[in-house]
Order: sequence, then structure tokens, then C-alpha cells
Amino acid sequence: MTRVPNPFADAPVTIRPELVPALGVALEQLGQKGDWLDGEKRLAVAREARNAWSCAICRDRKDALSPYAVEGEHDHLDELPEAWVDVIHRVVTDTGRLTESWLRDHLAGGMAEDEYIEIVSVTIITTVIDTFALGIGMTAPDLPEAKPGIPDRYRRADASPGPGWVSTIAPEDAAADFADFYDDDSHFYIRRSLTLRPQETRRFWEVMNQLYMEDPRLHELDGLTRGINRAQMEFLAARASMLLGCYY
Amino acid sequence: MSGQDTGQDYDLREVTEGTVDAATVTDGALMNAFCEAMMVRDLPRMAELRAEITETAGEDAMVDAAATIAAFNAYPRAADATGLPLEDKKAELTVAMRAELGLDALNVAAE
Repeated sequence: MTRVPNPFADAPVTIRPELVPALGVALEQLGQKGDWLDGEKRLAVAREARNAWSCAICRDRKDALSPYAVEGEHDHLDELPEAWVDVIHRVVTDTGRLTESWLRDHLAGGMAEDEYIEIVSVTIITTVIDTFALGIGMTAPDLPEAKPGIPDRYRRADASPGPGWVSTIAPEDAAADFADFYDDDSHFYIRRSLTLRPQETRRFWEVMNQLYMEDPRLHELDGLTRGINRAQMEFLAARASMLLGCYY
Repeated sequence: MSGQDTGQDYDLREVTEGTVDAATVTDGALMNAFCEAMMVRDLPRMAELRAEITETAGEDAMVDAAATIAAFNAYPRAADATGLPLEDKKAELTVAMRAELGLDALNVAAE
């Protein structure tokens, strides 16, 4: 297999050594088959996630008291179903005001819960990679070529509804192939959020663990090397969450 | 990681309003400005702040600030897209904080 160059290896600044491969792998995985979507579809989601930043209706909705009161069609790339575009755009531009009834409408319209989770994850990972790249002075990296492969689309028997709007795999229910995900006893709901699709969950956390930290219960930064201190990290974390309208 | 764990006192309004100062968080105003610019992808402002942070705190500080902000483009989106509630323990521990910031009213809006 041809090895694709990792754009973060040529960044204009020095990046922590463990972060460079994590970002490169995450970028490559956007074009690899997932649990529910093939590589082509995942890349189409990634392209639409990038496109959402310039969507006029999303801007109008963001400015509105209620985003659901503003009618109109998203500016989209014409590659994906309308419902997918709506999910991608709202997750990028106004995720703090998503509602359960909005999600239920999409599921009632034919979107599979598993599909929704993978669309959300690919959208978020794309946004994160681009945010970091732009933050350090790079351009958003080129997306990879799609790799062949057919997702198995196997609905997990160990998943059950909750704790939020979608099904997840609870630590106590996890089958043998996923139980290790909860090995470090970090059973916070956020870690469970995308577990309906285990492969996607692992991909998500492998890059996030390097960008932030694997176990936030650490006192200060015991054993971790970072260019900022813990108070700075927690301030930025809280401030970014606040700006996204997230109060979890 | 809470202030109870670290022994530090935080004014939560510094987070909600972005009024942090250097007494609470090293280079707090600069970090806040960088975060605000990154969250809306204001590229010219990001370039100015990148240079300023690099000069003031070093390139590694700028890179890890960007990494943290990037990561927190993920967790909140994942939480909100899946409608995660607060864990019971967190909810118990944050009663006063949520009251101070008026956050409970926002749960009603999301239903």
C-alpha cells in the first residue's frame, strides 16, 4: 500500500511527536470504510463539513433566537441526502442548539441511528483536524483518496438506549471486543457518546487523547508534556465549550 | 479537573464572559482571544495572536493551546449531538455553579 504523506509532518511549527501521527492517521481514516459508511461517503461528509462554514442559512440560523424558526435550504455540495446535510451543517455551526425532537424527526425520516453517529463523528473529526491546522498557521489539509471496502453495518447487540438521545454501549454491557475501551475506568458519559459505532469511537478518541489528554482525572499534568499548564488548558477547554453553547 | 482538586479558586464568569486575567490563568487574556478567534475561524486575527503567543509564551504554548481548542471543538459537539445529560455525580457537585450561571434553564430549551 502506498504511504500517503502526513501533512502535519511538514507543519510550519514544531508539533509534539505523538500528535503528528495521530493527526495523520485521523486524516487518512476519513477515507477508509467505517462501521456504517464507505470511504467515499465519509469523504463526502468531510467535504460537506468544510462547506458548512460558508452556508448562508446556517449563518442566519446562528443569529436567530431559535434556529428552527428560520426556513431555507443549506448551501450544499450536492453529494449527500438533504437530511445528512442538515445534520452535518448543524453539528458544525450550531451544535449547542440541537434538540431531541430535531434528531427524532431525522430518524423518523429514515436515517439510521448508527448512520447518524458515524456522520456526526466524521463531521467532528474533520472539524477538529481543520481547526488545529488553521490554528497553527497551516491551511486545512487535503483530504485523502477513498480506500475500497464495504462497511459491515452490523447493529451491535450490546447497545441500548441512553443515557442521552441515542443508543450507546454501557461499560457493564460491552462485549469482549469492546470491553477494553472502558479499562481505565473513565466511564464518563462523554466517553460513551459515540459507542454505538465502536470502530468510529476508537478513531475519535485516539486523536482526541493526543490533542488534549487521555485521562482528565490527572492531577495537574502528571507525566504529560504540554506547552501550557493545566489551568490554561482547562480555561481554554471551558471557554471553547462555552462558545459552542455546550453546558454538559 | 476542578478547582476543588487543584486548590485554585476560579471565577466562573471569567469563562462565560471571557474576562480572564493573568492572575487567574497565565496569559489568560491572550489565550482567551486566541480561543475566540479560532472558534470563528478569524484567520487574520488568529495570525496576529499566534505570533503574540509565540513571542510571549513560546511556540510550544501556541501549538498546545491550538490543540486544546481543537479538542474542545469535539467533546462539546459529541455531547450535544447525542443529547448527553450530566452524570448524577456531576449534577450533584455543580448545583451551585449551574444556579450561579443560570445553566439549568438551557436544558428546557433543548427538549
